[in-house]
Amino acid sequence: MFGLVHLVPGDPVRLALGTRFSQESYDALRERSGLDQPLVEQFFGWFGRALTGDLGVSFRSGETVTSQIAERLPATLTLAFASILVALLIAVPLGTVSALRPRSLVDRVATVISQFGISVPDFWMGIVLILVFAGTLGWLPSGGYVPLTEDPGAWLQRLLMPALVTGVVSGSVITRFVRSSVLEALGADHVRTAQAKGLGTRQVFTWHVLRNALLPLVTVTGVQLAYLLSGVVVVEIVFSWPGLGQLALQAVQARDYPVLQGAILLFALVFLVINLVVDLLYSAIDPRIRR
Amino acid sequence: MSIQPTPGPPPYQEPDGERRPETPEEPPGGSPQRESRPPPTLRPARPRWQETLSLLAHNPTAAIASVVLLLIVVVAVFDDTFASEGANEISVTDRLQPPSWEHPFGTDDLGRDILSRVILGASVSLRVGFLAVGFALVVGTLIGLLAGYYGKRVDDVLMRFMDMLFAFPAVLLAIAVLAVRGPGSGNTALAIGIVYTPIFARVTRASVLGVREEVYVRASRSVGASDWRILTRHILPNAAPPIIVQTSISLAFAVLAEAALSFLGLGTQPPNPSWGLMLAEGRGFIELAWWLAFFPGMAIFLTVLCFNLLGDGLRDVLDPRQRTQMAGGSRAAGAAAAAETGGNA
Repeated sequence: MFGLVHLVPGDPVRLALGTRFSQESYDALRERSGLDQPLVEQFFGWFGRALTGDLGVSFRSGETVTSQIAERLPATLTLAFASILVALLIAVPLGTVSALRPRSLVDRVATVISQFGISVPDFWMGIVLILVFAGTLGWLPSGGYVPLTEDPGAWLQRLLMPALVTGVVSGSVITRFVRSSVLEALGADHVRTAQAKGLGTRQVFTWHVLRNALLPLVTVTGVQLAYLLSGVVVVEIVFSWPGLGQLALQAVQARDYPVLQGAILLFALVFLVINLVVDLLYSAIDPRIRR
Repeated sequence: MSIQPTPGPPPYQEPDGERRPETPEEPPGGSPQRESRPPPTLRPARPRWQETLSLLAHNPTAAIASVVLLLIVVVAVFDDTFASEGANEISVTDRLQPPSWEHPFGTDDLGRDILSRVILGASVSLRVGFLAVGFALVVGTLIGLLAGYYGKRVDDVLMRFMDMLFAFPAVLLAIAVLAVRGPGSGNTALAIGIVYTPIFARVTRASVLGVREEVYVRASRSVGASDWRILTRHILPNAAPPIIVQTSISLAFAVLAEAALSFLGLGTQPPNPSWGLMLAEGRGFIELAWWLAFFPGMAIFLTVLCFNLLGDGLRDVLDPRQRTQMAGGSRAAGAAAAAETGGNA
């Protein structure tokens, strides 16, 4: 990861100083940012400091990387969780209904919807939504971010469209998983036994089907959440949403190694934490795993 | 029993292994036995490619998707014939014309015909898509074959490396590769190819593990067939169906990713038309002239949708067991990961 970041060609010091600079100021900045040391030393220095929570200073703005990330974090978290909420609101009912009535009209419509959501380019959908709701109808602002604490109304207005776009995409993927896992759970022996011993449909469904279908759902939701927390760069650009994806993109463009390393480290951590949470949820849902 | 040297076939060959589907993955090199010896009464376990095609034809969505894709490919290949000369020609008098008979998709801010640019964009998008998936297919399949067949340390080393690549957020990995190599169509294809290589490796490995201990593999090993022969003649053809399905779905992802990267200004560079680039250019005019961004987006959507539908159809025909495992098209990266983590947890 560290190596890849440093493979990016272009001299960050040169970019930071602009076009006119003296050799002295060039050397001074190079020394100050530690870029004159061998790569291996740079790595261990960075790693040691990262362990103590010091991710270095941005080449571009001179702010600390931690403060830059902290500044972007609320927007990213807001969008990611709002999108997952939208996704689950779409996926769970749609997937369940289509699994309960396979090959019916409902199932076909649900399949078409999820196929649409998987295939639509998210940034294009964002642009079309902006055209309709911000342009023609004028109901919503076309982009930007307002913290919840400042103005809840404006916060919600600006959150709606990006959350809908990313939510529809993630929701479509999750729908397919919900459908197939509910279908599988419906066909299991214990469900037939439960029906045979005369339990009501509702009871069979909540206790025997849904609970078994929950495991794959938790996994996909975790994967989708990790994806939303790291990779919605394009949607962030379309809606001028000041999230981590934008920060990472700018860091790549400016060869801002400390910021890029910090962002990637954070994404890796997010990935690990989400996997851990998914595993914990597993044992909470399925007592068989605890043993 | 003595073994004849290549190229002659071994004296006894498992009929099962020989009458396998002639999938595109199967290496050429017809065996003379194919004609000389009538097939045994054993039914082939999986349909051959004609049967695959006829089954696909009976699946209306997949059939329609294939026809539309074929049309798109034809238009992309003969783009010079279909696109009028206005594609890269700047004309001030014709700027921002709404859709009309003369310009069915309208014109952009420089007076260029959008339909022609969409057609030229098709060849760019498809070329990048096929190159990217071709790279991922060859490299990923090879890695997966070796990891699955040899197991143990080879498996550990190769798959840990693949996991490392896989742990990167896909878009960021592609952006990082493009930052290293600089923007452009070829590098975009490489970036997307690298992103998708681990998925092919995983799919192939899983599939190889499934057939590695089959009787026909053990039989040919016992008659002394080389590892290479076993891999190419017995394992690859039988492990192919999930790989073929993955190829179609990956093409959907690749077209989408090319559009996204070009949209960010990292992929195809102007003045070459690429769907993603046209979307980015049209975005600024969205309230003034909706058609600038609408039609390229429609083109991306249609192409991606068709590849996904074809992938679904192929999966139903070739590999019904996989249906529950690999849902999700363009975002199959996440989906495949889910299937994996589901297995590991």
